Amino acid sequence: MNRVPITGIGVIAPAPIAEIDRFDTSGLSAHTAALVRDFKPKDFIAPMKMRRMNALSRLAMAAAKLAIEDCGAPPGPNTGVAIGTTFGPVQTSVDYMQEYVAKGAALAPPQLFAESVANAPGSHIAIEYGLRGFNVTITQRESSALAAAMYASSQLVKGTVDAALIGGVEEANEMLFSVLDRLGALDDKCENGIVIGEGAAVLVAGAGTRKPYAYLSGFGIARDTTATISDWGTGHESVVAAMKAAIDDAEITPADIDAIYVSANGSRRADALESRAIEALFGARTPKLIATKNVFGEYAAGGALQLVEAIRGVENHRNVLVNSLSAGGGIVCAVVSA
Amino acid sequence: MEGSTSAVRKPDLDTRIAVTGAGIVCSIGRNKDEVWQSIAAARAGIGKLTRFPGETFPTDIAAEVSAELPKARRLSRTDLLAVMAAKEAIEQASPPLERAIVSTGTSTGGLLEGEDYYFRRIVRGRRRAPVSLVLQQPTSGPSDAVARTFNLGGGVISNATACASAGAAIGMAADFLRSRHADVAIAGGSDALCRLTYSGFNVLQAVDPEPCAPFDASRKGITLGEGAGYLVLERWDDAVARGATILAELCGYGASCDAHHPTAPAEDGRGAEAAMRGALAEARVDASSIDYVNAHGTGTTLNDSAETKAIVASLGMGVPVSSSKSYFGHTLGASGAVEAVVSVLALQHQTAPPTLRLRERAADCTLDYIPDTPRAMPMENILSNTFGFGGSNVSLLFRRAS
Repeated sequence: MNRVPITGIGVIAPAPIAEIDRFDTSGLSAHTAALVRDFKPKDFIAPMKMRRMNALSRLAMAAAKLAIEDCGAPPGPNTGVAIGTTFGPVQTSVDYMQEYVAKGAALAPPQLFAESVANAPGSHIAIEYGLRGFNVTITQRESSALAAAMYASSQLVKGTVDAALIGGVEEANEMLFSVLDRLGALDDKCENGIVIGEGAAVLVAGAGTRKPYAYLSGFGIARDTTATISDWGTGHESVVAAMKAAIDDAEITPADIDAIYVSANGSRRADALESRAIEALFGARTPKLIATKNVFGEYAAGGALQLVEAIRGVENHRNVLVNSLSAGGGIVCAVVSA
Repeated sequence: MEGSTSAVRKPDLDTRIAVTGAGIVCSIGRNKDEVWQSIAAARAGIGKLTRFPGETFPTDIAAEVSAELPKARRLSRTDLLAVMAAKEAIEQASPPLERAIVSTGTSTGGLLEGEDYYFRRIVRGRRRAPVSLVLQQPTSGPSDAVARTFNLGGGVISNATACASAGAAIGMAADFLRSRHADVAIAGGSDALCRLTYSGFNVLQAVDPEPCAPFDASRKGITLGEGAGYLVLERWDDAVARGATILAELCGYGASCDAHHPTAPAEDGRGAEAAMRGALAEARVDASSIDYVNAHGTGTTLNDSAETKAIVASLGMGVPVSSSKSYFGHTLGASGAVEAVVSVLALQHQTAPPTLRLRERAADCTLDYIPDTPRAMPMENILSNTFGFGGSNVSLLFRRAS
């Protein structure tokens, strides 16, 4: 069986885009984000364990718990974990450096160091549920969660694991926000720049008792060689190649795609690139285009919320395509089938 | 059948993977030749820490890269190390690059520059600190830098799975080739020393104040290092068809998780054992056919004991094992790739690198760790182990090219 059934979904979603009240944005050009609000980690995690976790780990653990409850039965020990995150533990590094400056290199708290690795969330999930398969954390910019899904799916069909948890996690914080703002990447109106999102989402693949929501059925990967270090390029052929590769992998044709969960994020170059590619591949018969980042922002759950929306939305369709175009030129596409 | 539509293409385990290029930079050399000369001469690259002048730490030694790195605007030190090693690998293999993917593991990416930015922000404020410093802080930096430098069109994938990152990157790349999602893979890892890791391992009391002594009775922890390594991987038949020189075969890999503790390995070595067994199974090789293990061998009390148990359980007592970290320290997220390159060199030279500074074998380290000097011996199949924080383990199985 080469299709990857998604049997559980757990989401700690951000609230819709709104004014930021968690940190000070004065003097910056952007002031909005899609932030997680009213999240109570103690509803999901025992207090003793929670103390050892940073915000990313808490978000991811909560999403994993919801996903596992949703699928109907806990996955067995031969389960892999692939988590995507664009920026990972930026805040933990900042917290560590604050202590480093205040107390010195010898006296910074070891707990912060343990949580400063990007794979801490995936590790906590494995420990909590006794998951002994592969455990990787993919950090490929905007495409992190989709690339995590691609790798996890390859391991499921290869048969090295019986099941996998696939997900993503992201945290908005002052350091990240102010740097992106200074780089000119942000735009509150989402017209010439992005609005950032956060949150966590975890999917259960190949375990549980529930009828699958959908199947991951194909992936494609490519790179636009015209991209610059921090922007998108103009080589729409590479986007076509990735979409086509995903469609070929799913053993269908472009005519079988009913909708595209687009990568569109408000960055003009990115959106123009994707539009040209979709036109080139689908011509006059353009599938329905569904944007998610105008609601959840870019980076939401490391890109996993876009995938979750596609999985939830596929019941009205036969197959949908999920596009992820990264700054720097990376492209990952996936086909989700009913 | 149900798979007649909508099927994720399976990594085909009958597709053999050739290593056609290798590149390395670490404290004992800027390239394969220099590294192998140091190994042959039993010359370690561990000295006084110089990278953070004016700052003091509980320990003061490291395995730093002293070579001058190529200059490139906006790239982090981790990126530059990556580009340097990838260049050597790509020049050796000269593979077609249109559908070449780059897969990199790194633990910290551009965190070193992130720290510099943080210090300047304290002084200058967030509106004036030089933000270009952190452009490449995300751990996607090295993959993106390599892809951009060499114009790779196949795709980029990065993972930050702590010290297991580069092993995961190489395994992942092999599967992308086996499933034909890419035609060539530039796979490896890179990590530059930074304050957070240097300080962090010290506060965990995991750093040996003396150069690390893996498997020794007196071992007290790791020596922190930095570096990068890359392999060029291709499907065997493609490499043969284009007349490439094949350095070794990557026959399989195993990946597992201890599911035990955020930073400490499971004491019984169960995760390490599962990774090695996974590699054997994927390569369809018997435990008795493994001729050498390039161990994770960090020099911490827990790792060396647990890894020894895992090797005994999966391979038996007879297999020679060594830790090349005794030469160039623990290169963290890069270690899986740096040591994969050393493993490929060991196969080519039919010589296993020794474990340096092994004076008295520890009671819980019961194997043949190849002390003092390199050992010439016939090797067909070897394992290269890489484990990390979070309990992630990867074991790569390489075979002599034939």
